[in-house]
Amino acid sequence: MTTITGNTMGHTPAVAAKPDNYLTHGKTIGSWLFTLDHKRIGIMYLITALLAFFIGGMLAEVIRTQLLVPQGLIFHGTGSVASSYAAYRYYNQVFTLHGIIMVFLVLIPIIPGALGNFAMPLMLGAKDVAFPKLNLISYYLYLVGAILAIVSTVLGAVDTGWTFYTPFSIQTESYVVVMVLGIFLVGFSSIFTGINFMVTIHKLRPPGMSWFRMPLFLWAIYSTSLIQVAATPVVGITFVLLMMERVMGIGIFNPALGGNPVLFQEFFWFYSHPAVYIMILPAMGIVSEIIPTFSRKHIFGYEFIALSSLAIALIGFLVWGHHIFVNGQSAELDAVFSFLTFIVAVPSAIKVWNWLATMYKGAIVLKTPMLYVLSFIVLFTIGGLTGVVLGALSEDVVLHDTYFVVGHFHYVMMGGTLIGFIAGMHYWWPKMFGRMYNERIAQWTCVVLFIGINLTFFPQLVVGAEGMPRRYASYLPVYQPYMIASTIGAYIQLVAFLSMAGYLMHSLFYGKKAPMNPWGGGSLEWETASPPPHDNFETTPSVGDPYDYSDLVFDPAVNGYVHIEKPVESLAPVTATH
Amino acid sequence: MTNIPQILGHLGQMNLGRIVAALWLPHGESTFSPPVQFLWDFWYWISVFFTVLIVGLVVFFSIRYRHTKDRTIAEDSPSHNNPLEITWTVIPLIIVMVIFALGFTQYMNMDSPPANSYNIHVIAQKWSWTFVYENGAISNTLYLPVNTPVKLNMTSKDVLHGFWIPDLSIQRDVVPGRVMTTWVEPTNPGTYWLQCAEYCGDGHSEMRAHVVVEPYAKFQKQIVAAANIFEQDGKPLPLATVGKKLYTTLGCLGCHSVDGSKGTGPSWKNLAGSTEVLANGKTVPVNYAFLKTMISHPGRVLIKGFPAGVMPSYGSRFTGKNVKNLYAVVWYINSLSKNSNKASQPPVPDKPKGSEPAASSKSPKTAAPATAKTSQTATPATTAAPTTAKAPATPVAKVPAGPQPMALHVLGAKLYKSLGCIGCHTVNGQPGVGPSWKNLAGYPQKLTTGKTVIADYKFLRTMILDPGKMDIAGSPAGVMPVMYKYQLSGKKHPHENKLNAIIWYINTLSNRGSKATEPPVPDVPVAK
Repeated sequence: MTTITGNTMGHTPAVAAKPDNYLTHGKTIGSWLFTLDHKRIGIMYLITALLAFFIGGMLAEVIRTQLLVPQGLIFHGTGSVASSYAAYRYYNQVFTLHGIIMVFLVLIPIIPGALGNFAMPLMLGAKDVAFPKLNLISYYLYLVGAILAIVSTVLGAVDTGWTFYTPFSIQTESYVVVMVLGIFLVGFSSIFTGINFMVTIHKLRPPGMSWFRMPLFLWAIYSTSLIQVAATPVVGITFVLLMMERVMGIGIFNPALGGNPVLFQEFFWFYSHPAVYIMILPAMGIVSEIIPTFSRKHIFGYEFIALSSLAIALIGFLVWGHHIFVNGQSAELDAVFSFLTFIVAVPSAIKVWNWLATMYKGAIVLKTPMLYVLSFIVLFTIGGLTGVVLGALSEDVVLHDTYFVVGHFHYVMMGGTLIGFIAGMHYWWPKMFGRMYNERIAQWTCVVLFIGINLTFFPQLVVGAEGMPRRYASYLPVYQPYMIASTIGAYIQLVAFLSMAGYLMHSLFYGKKAPMNPWGGGSLEWETASPPPHDNFETTPSVGDPYDYSDLVFDPAVNGYVHIEKPVESLAPVTATH
Repeated sequence: MTNIPQILGHLGQMNLGRIVAALWLPHGESTFSPPVQFLWDFWYWISVFFTVLIVGLVVFFSIRYRHTKDRTIAEDSPSHNNPLEITWTVIPLIIVMVIFALGFTQYMNMDSPPANSYNIHVIAQKWSWTFVYENGAISNTLYLPVNTPVKLNMTSKDVLHGFWIPDLSIQRDVVPGRVMTTWVEPTNPGTYWLQCAEYCGDGHSEMRAHVVVEPYAKFQKQIVAAANIFEQDGKPLPLATVGKKLYTTLGCLGCHSVDGSKGTGPSWKNLAGSTEVLANGKTVPVNYAFLKTMISHPGRVLIKGFPAGVMPSYGSRFTGKNVKNLYAVVWYINSLSKNSNKASQPPVPDKPKGSEPAASSKSPKTAAPATAKTSQTATPATTAAPTTAKAPATPVAKVPAGPQPMALHVLGAKLYKSLGCIGCHTVNGQPGVGPSWKNLAGYPQKLTTGKTVIADYKFLRTMILDPGKMDIAGSPAGVMPVMYKYQLSGKKHPHENKLNAIIWYINTLSNRGSKATEPPVPDVPVAK
């Protein structure tokens, strides 16, 4: 059996004998359920979050199908107004569950939980996260919270919308308490993960890896953890107060008891706006890894990308009021929130320019992860620019709570976070499972998904600007063409996701064996076997510039990239062509 | 259901020209609309520029610099450039600051209603809109005079609602327990949609109303006619017909069907004269007394199988002088039942002398909600409901311009509604967000400081104009809006009269009114 180390990897042929890796290290169910291995916990996060994504996605298809016709295709009345309203309650439950699952069970945990857990210690050259047991507890809190969310749905569902606005959430006869308890637990999972990752990055960096020599994904994870730790407790307390309001009638949010329903909105968005950055920052981190790797070029403006993550995390705390411009808070306060909202747009723009500058004069490989990243840049640009107009006070008055907002945040959340996650999943898939997926099918799937997303959400921007409010089970007939287009887009997305599920499953069993470094990445996770051994590295890898690709060349013998001794020579063919 | 050719046909209706030409927003019909449209266009073209630039660069780089056999590694180029970083930080910063400044100045204008605005009180409830005009008329269609600033004082009876008229470029949440205000000056006559924008439960997507903008004279005529629903063309209507109107205007239709189908509340079909099982297991006959209790005091008795606490309390709408409304609704319920009998009928006859039986026994329309709403607009007078405080024999159009000087307490009763006091203060002693005005004047009030003070003229004046100065124990602090200071105060200001009118009205509601509680001007004008 060949021993693979960072030093000898350069000319090592493909692994001959079957080595022990983290997937085969312990084969009992118990070895998975009680594992302290960050890689296995990451895989369990991945499976759970993908299951949640499947449920949330199918609910989205139900929503889109309902909206094919103005009176509602699935849930509609039998003629009388009262019977329509009774039917629309089911639709309200569907979009509520879609929102809760996608936000709390998919978007927030999926990148830190699955990809962060798997890749972060490897990128640090470490054996594990700082607190492996806490890591396992995080996962189980997440799992129990997810199960409670499903239980509340089985009991009788929730029809409040994922925002749980009071006083509706106090009055409605649905299982708000169970659902909120579930989210409360998921929140603790998020806090624990944040603490764990922060300590890991502070304490487990290898000698030589200063803050400004870390891969940018780690900067993004660090900024995310900061928000998770500082903001999540607020929503936890808010949900406890909501439960107490429902069970005991303490009168903090209920106007009938002298409470203030707007206070709930302030508390809720104090967390839920920073939560948007919990979702998008790690995705930006993934983009910052993939672009240089697939451009075969050093990242442009490292410090600006790294610090803009921190800037977003910090300013992101001060903009929550822009969700509630029309709820009667004072105009002066509105002005401050509007101003800060525009300020936080700038660091995002900085990132986009730096990514583009990285591509400039690169040698761009359009493999699947890169294609998803390019989709990310386009979709995130549209999502970001539509956010700019929502931040303008007078424009928010005519766009608030319309489908324009729905289109905007789906461009950011789906086109940003989710596409970023998918890019990362494809990037690290060979590392996770030691198998390659079918590249050609994966590329076409990306194209189809990109078309589907735009066809789904662009019409929503238009119909919203024309005046259609959100959370509508039925609508005025003039909006129907846009709704149909959007639904067709959603079906196209479904096709793309089924294809993705198909070729990824296929790769697990029939995929080609993955080399150690299939894409030519320069960070440390590529310095170990695919999949990595239980202890990650046989010997501690040496730390260099994670974005220096000059000594990595493609070796057809192993179908991956290997280190060479003299990087200068490899420049020769390029310079010769110019 | 739709088939493929139909869907393609629908897609053809999407106005691609409009999408390209930045005209997404509805063609605005209020004074707010042109500046909002301007800023929108400004943002739109900047966005188009940057989207094209970024997409263009992505595509160009991907092709120009793609990885080939001869090109396996990047060309030499710097990995950082500070002047470049500063450039692409400062340019977006300047652009967003311009957008911020424009949006902010426009918004401040939206936030400041002119002093001479016409007042309309908007009441939102699950799932209907009700509009109360300065003359006391009530309607479910919002009538607005063109080229006149209108201030909307909005209250919610239950949960959050969103007052959203896309064509007039205004939106405001309606928060329960507060008076929310916005204003608008429509510039073009026409019919537009008001849609609820803040999620409010089952009927949220059907919580719409028509907005009719018309010339001032027509508007006046409209609301005068709307002030009385018990008559049509000077003839009294059968009570069941009036009840059918109230079924729509008061929002009963949201929960109670009239065709037997299931809803949030019991269907009215064959309800009267039948029996109901209560939550405590008892079986009771549905007679007049039962219906009266259920309508005027929901929550006192619970029917098995229906959720508690959903039905809004209509309070004085059905009691006292307005008991006629109760008769009308109960007669309507009776007309829907084959079990209807003497015991289930109100104590007054349905048909007034000399009137035809009319459509009272016909089953109501069961058309789709959208069509039902459309037909309402076609005959706006039928959607109106009576004033709650008094029978409007001679409705007064605009208060200061009334044909005869009126008693101040009468004016006060109108202001009670148009300024939105009605949202928090009852006049029948029932608890609300604020203290009830029934037996308020002349009675001692306990403050949060522990002191007890008599509610005299000076006290009432302070509470209305400067609500934060003292807090009455038991009522939440900070809820009463401070805006009344600007609407009602100033010794020389004509609005001082309105303040006196309100205090006179509060006096008439108390059995302990005295010299000390009365305003310094007499109630009944000398001219009379």
